[in-house]
Amino acid sequence: MLGLAPALIVLAAITIAPAGYLFLTSLTPLNLTMPGTAWDFSGPHYNYLDLWEDERFLRSAWFQAHLSVATVALQLLGGLGAALLLNRDTPIRRFGRSALLVPMVLPPIAVGILWRVMYTVDISPFHRFMAWIGLPVPPLTTDPDFALWAIVLVDSWEWFPFTMLLVLAALQMIPESPIEAARIDGANGWQMFRYVLFPYIAPTLVVCALFRLIDSIKAFPLIYVLTSGGPGDATTVTNYYAFVQAFNFSLWGYASAIATLMVATIFVISWIIDRLGGNSDGRHD
Amino acid sequence: MAGTTEALAIPRAVPAAPPRARLSVLRRHRRAIGDAATLVLVLVVLFPFLWLLQMSIRPNDDIFGYDLAFTPTLEHYGVLWRGTFAGSFVNSVVISLSSTALALLFGTPAAYALSRGGFRRRRGIALWILATRMAPPIAFTIPFFLAYRWIGLQDTQIGLIIVYLTFNLALVIWMMQGFFEGVPRALEEAAWIDGCGVWQTFLRVSLPLSAPGLAATAVLCFILSWNDFFFALVLTRTNASTAPVAIVNFIQYTGWEWGRIAAAATLVMLPVVVFSMLVRNYLVKGLTAGGTKE
Repeated sequence: MLGLAPALIVLAAITIAPAGYLFLTSLTPLNLTMPGTAWDFSGPHYNYLDLWEDERFLRSAWFQAHLSVATVALQLLGGLGAALLLNRDTPIRRFGRSALLVPMVLPPIAVGILWRVMYTVDISPFHRFMAWIGLPVPPLTTDPDFALWAIVLVDSWEWFPFTMLLVLAALQMIPESPIEAARIDGANGWQMFRYVLFPYIAPTLVVCALFRLIDSIKAFPLIYVLTSGGPGDATTVTNYYAFVQAFNFSLWGYASAIATLMVATIFVISWIIDRLGGNSDGRHD
Repeated sequence: MAGTTEALAIPRAVPAAPPRARLSVLRRHRRAIGDAATLVLVLVVLFPFLWLLQMSIRPNDDIFGYDLAFTPTLEHYGVLWRGTFAGSFVNSVVISLSSTALALLFGTPAAYALSRGGFRRRRGIALWILATRMAPPIAFTIPFFLAYRWIGLQDTQIGLIIVYLTFNLALVIWMMQGFFEGVPRALEEAAWIDGCGVWQTFLRVSLPLSAPGLAATAVLCFILSWNDFFFALVLTRTNASTAPVAIVNFIQYTGWEWGRIAAAATLVMLPVVVFSMLVRNYLVKGLTAGGTKE
């Protein structure tokens, strides 16, 4: 149809063309400081071979896995808990449902700055409070053991509302009768959750987990503002590593290979989401 | 329903086999306990946000104080407005609005065509949209950065507007398709009988009926563009730098001047918070674009 063509042409030009260009670049040793490296396809697989021997890359992948798993687990728990608390129609909880969305919609750079204040020991109200009650907390973002956890905490803070929102929507779709039946049978709070509500919201939780898993692979502004990938390389996750390789070291071919690998990983996860989306119900909104 | 959700709100407060009298006492207060827990949760979660807001209006000599009785001042905002931040703020507004407008211009007719077209094509497009939403920004920035060097779009507003189309266009197509599906066919058929063509029907019947959806979609596009940091950081330097990048720039040049930073962050945050409350009912749909079925 006529209306479709312009949009699809534009969309192809700005998504498929760059993807192709990225892949082609990943087959070259492109380095903007060295002329003649742009279309040099003499060793197309070198970048990909290098990846497996680059210890810093492998470490970044490990940090990435750590960050992703920890933050997804935390935000699912937090979001689920918040949703269960707010799943009742009182004016205060209606207010809570809106107010708790704030972290999720804030510009990521602002989230970084909010937490930069919280993590800077001499000015942070949190650190001062802990010191005041006699439990001083050491600086977190500059300690290699805690820096990644500091990022995990902020990322979970930012994104638990996403799970909360989706779980609240799912809770509202649960029919009245099984709940009624369980109550007549004398189910307690935990039983009600485990055997009645949970089966209804489980598919939603899976979708939340996958969506957030994918987005956690892109974490950038938080790391940029809070730790710049440090201390050492303690918070240099794969995405950040690719950024540094390209924009600091001008290793464009190599960075493209990393990005291509990330896209491939994400496609696999997307494919799983698509399968789940086609087979399960209860997430219509 | 009410009783069970109360039980869920504070699961630990309900023992496995409670004596009757105690249960009824708990039940009487359950609503109040849940409400109180909600308020505490909101305060704890929003604390960093509220803290920055008050920092932005606190005088410089007491910027880290925690005494709530202080005389608010707008000096930090004044400093910002006289510096280069104002220009970046305007850049942000112009770029976000333009990208939103372009995405609506291209995306709305496409969404309409899709909603009235066959099912097979829809499925392919949904996958494509999901893929663009999922792809890591670094995968787009590398080719865009290299291409912009050649064609001279580095550090220009147009350059960023085009890049933001990568996610805005996909979002518009996805969202509007859902809204058009909600328009009753009978109304469109009536328009055809009265002699309207397909596109006339679109402009005079379907589009006006989807106006609230169009507004929500526009706001979401605006928020996504406004919030972007990565693309703007990489593709702009001074002329077209947006507000988020401007904050980072003056941190780099003048160090951590907290009052100014707090004020700048507040200016970047507030429009988004206001707008997102307007469209909160559409947030789920926008954020999971391509991933969930209508």
